[in-house]
Amino acid sequence: MRRSTTLTLAVAAVAVGAVLLSGCTPQSETAQGGEATGLDSVQVALVPGGPHPYFQPWIAAGEAAKTDFGLGGTTFNETAAWDQTKQNDVINSLVANGYNAFGVFGVSPTDINSTFDNLKQSGIATAALGSCPAGDTNDADFCLSTDTETAAYKAAQATIEAMGGTGVLAHLTGVNVDSNTQRRIAGVKKAVDETNGAVTLLPDVTDIDTDLTTAQKAVADLLASQGSEITGIVSTAYNPAVAAATAVKESGLPIKLVAIDDDETILAAIEDGSVYATIAQNPTAQAYVGSYALAKLASKECTMAEPGAIIDSGSFVVTKDNVATYDDERVAAGDQLMKDFDSEYLSC
Amino acid sequence: MRSAIRAQLTTPRFLLFVIIVVLVAVIVALKPSFLNGAFVLAPLITSIAIFTVVGLAQMVVLSIGHMNIAVGNMAAFGAMISGISFDLFGLPLVAGIAAGLVGGGLIGALTGWIIARTGVNSFIVTLAMSFALLGLVPTVYSALSTGSAFVVKPAGFDALGRDSFADVCQFGYCGPAAIPVMVVPVIVVMVLVAVLYTKTRVGRELLLTGSSVKAAEFSGIPTSRRIVLAHTLSGVLAALAGILLATSIGSFTPSIGDEFMLQSFVGPILGGTLLAGGYVSVTGTLLGITLTLVIRKGLELFGVGIETLNVLLGVILLIALSADRVREIRLRKGRTPDASAPPPSDPARSADRSTEEVPA
Repeated sequence: MRRSTTLTLAVAAVAVGAVLLSGCTPQSETAQGGEATGLDSVQVALVPGGPHPYFQPWIAAGEAAKTDFGLGGTTFNETAAWDQTKQNDVINSLVANGYNAFGVFGVSPTDINSTFDNLKQSGIATAALGSCPAGDTNDADFCLSTDTETAAYKAAQATIEAMGGTGVLAHLTGVNVDSNTQRRIAGVKKAVDETNGAVTLLPDVTDIDTDLTTAQKAVADLLASQGSEITGIVSTAYNPAVAAATAVKESGLPIKLVAIDDDETILAAIEDGSVYATIAQNPTAQAYVGSYALAKLASKECTMAEPGAIIDSGSFVVTKDNVATYDDERVAAGDQLMKDFDSEYLSC
Repeated sequence: MRSAIRAQLTTPRFLLFVIIVVLVAVIVALKPSFLNGAFVLAPLITSIAIFTVVGLAQMVVLSIGHMNIAVGNMAAFGAMISGISFDLFGLPLVAGIAAGLVGGGLIGALTGWIIARTGVNSFIVTLAMSFALLGLVPTVYSALSTGSAFVVKPAGFDALGRDSFADVCQFGYCGPAAIPVMVVPVIVVMVLVAVLYTKTRVGRELLLTGSSVKAAEFSGIPTSRRIVLAHTLSGVLAALAGILLATSIGSFTPSIGDEFMLQSFVGPILGGTLLAGGYVSVTGTLLGITLTLVIRKGLELFGVGIETLNVLLGVILLIALSADRVREIRLRKGRTPDASAPPPSDPARSADRSTEEVPA
C-alpha cells in the first residue's frame, strides 16, 4: 500500500508542480491587440479537413502566396482522418510553433466556430476556407468558399437540360452531417422543383465521398438496382463524380451525368462525351487569396469591413464547348476576388 | 527501506512515471513551445482526462478477466442519450449527463447480463454489441437531428468542455490556462474507482472473480452479478468519456468514440492492469494514457505525420502486450515484480495482493 501511495503522491506532486509552473494571472491580462507588423511576420497555416484531392491545389497556392506576398511562411497540414479533435490538435500544435494565421476547412461545421473563437481570443487571424460553419454565424474573420447551393443548383440544371427536361434524377453527394451537403441537397431539390414534376428525384445518396472505393461501390449498387430507370445523375461530391464517370461509361447505360470538380478522368470523359458537364470550383483562389487576406489581417494592416463575411469563390460550368478554356475564366475570377478583397472586404 | 525502494523501482507504474518525466524534459528542451498553456498543455491534459476515463472503462472489465470491444460504441450511445436530452427535451447539464450515464450503464448491464447468462466469451458479446450500436447510433442521429448532430448546449456545457482555470477568477486573479476545468470531475471519478477496488468488499469480489471464477464461486461470491456490475460500470464510464469528448468538441455526433477502443487497452495494460484479470491500477491507467498522449503531442509539435503516430501507437500496444505476457510468466514462476506479493495461483491470496497493490 505504501508503494502505491508513494507513487500516487509523486504523480500528484508533479501535477501540482505543473499547476504552479503554469501560474496564475491577473484577471485583466488578455492576448488581444498589438501593433501592425509586416507581412513577413505572418505564418499562414492551411489546414484541410482531411485527405482529399480537392485540397491538393492549396499546397502550390500557399507556396505561391508566400513568394508573391513576402509572407514569413506557409504550411499545409492535413490530418489523416476526418476528425475534428485531430484537426484541433494539429491547429493547436501549429499555434505553439508560431503560426498566426489559419485557413481551415472545418471537419465538423457544427463545431468549427468554437475552434475559430478559441484562436481569435489569442489574436490569431482565421478564415474558413472551402466550407463555412453551419448555421447563421461565422466566427472566423471571413469564409471563402464555393456557394455550394448555387453550384449544386447549376449542376442539377445542367443535368436536367441534358436529360431533355424529363426523367429520373439521382443525386450523389458527401457527408450528410456537413451543412454544405445540406445546402447541395437544397440546390438540387430547387432545380428539380422548377420542373413541376417532369423530373423525379430519387432519395439522395449521401456519405459516399470518403474515398474512391466507397464511391465506386455505391455507384455500382445504384446502377445495378436502378440503372435502367435513371436518366440522369448529378454528383456534387468529388469521389462519387469520378466513380460515376467511369461506371456510366463502362455500363453503356444512356445516363446523362454531370459531375463536380475538374479531375483528369472527368475532363477526359467530357471530351469523349460520356460526361455531359462538370462544375469546377476554385480551390487555388481559396488558398491564394485566402492567404493574402489572412496575412493582411494577422499583420494588423487591415481589418475585415464586415467581420465574418461569407464570400463565394465561384463555380464554373464546364462542358465540351469550353473544356479547353474554362481555366482562364477561373483564373480571372480569382484575380477579381483579390481586387474585391482590397476594395470591398478589407478595411486598411 | 532499501527493499521498499527497490520494489518501487520494479513496478511498471514507476517505470512509466520515470519515462514520462524524461520524455517531457527532452521535449521541453527541444521544443520549449510544449509549455504553451492554452494551446499545448490544456488540450493535452483534456485528452489525458478523457482517455483516462476511457481506460478506466476498459480496466473495470479487465479486472474480471473480460474485455469490452464496444467501449467506443457505448461512449457514442451514452453521448447520444445526453445529446437527445439537451436537444429534444431541453434538460439542464447535470440531468442530461445523468441520462447519458444511465443509458451507457443500461447498455453495459445488458452486455454483462448476456455474458453471465450465456457464458459466451466477452469478446464475442461485446463485438456483437459493437456492431449493433454501430448501426443504431447513426440511424438515431439521422432520424432525430438535422445534419446528424445534436448541437443544443445547456448552461455550463462549454465551461465543462472548453474552459480552463484561466476562466475561473477570484479576488482579481485567475487560475492557470494550462489546466482545463474538466480535470475536476475526472479526478473525482478516478478516486471513486480507486476507492471501489481498494476499500470496498465489492471491489475485492470483482478482482477475485477476475483471478478465478471458480474460486470466487466457492467463496460465495455471486460472480454473475459481479460480471453484470463490471460491464455496467464500463458502460457508465464509457458514456462519461463520450459526453466529456462531446463537451470538448462542442456537439454530439455519431463519430464520438471512434478513437476509443485502441487507447482503452493501451492505458490500463501499460499501467500494469493484467489482461487475465485480478489486478488493476488506476494510477497506472492514468500514466499509461499520459505516456501515449505525451508522445503523440511531442510528435505533433515536431510536425510528424499522424500516420507515424498511429504506427507508434501500434508499437506501444505490442510492447505493452508483450510486457503483460512477460509479467504473467514471471508471476507463474513465482518471481513477481513485487517480491513480497504471492503468486496468483492462490486466488484468495491473489485477491489480497490485488487489494494491497491497487493504487489509490
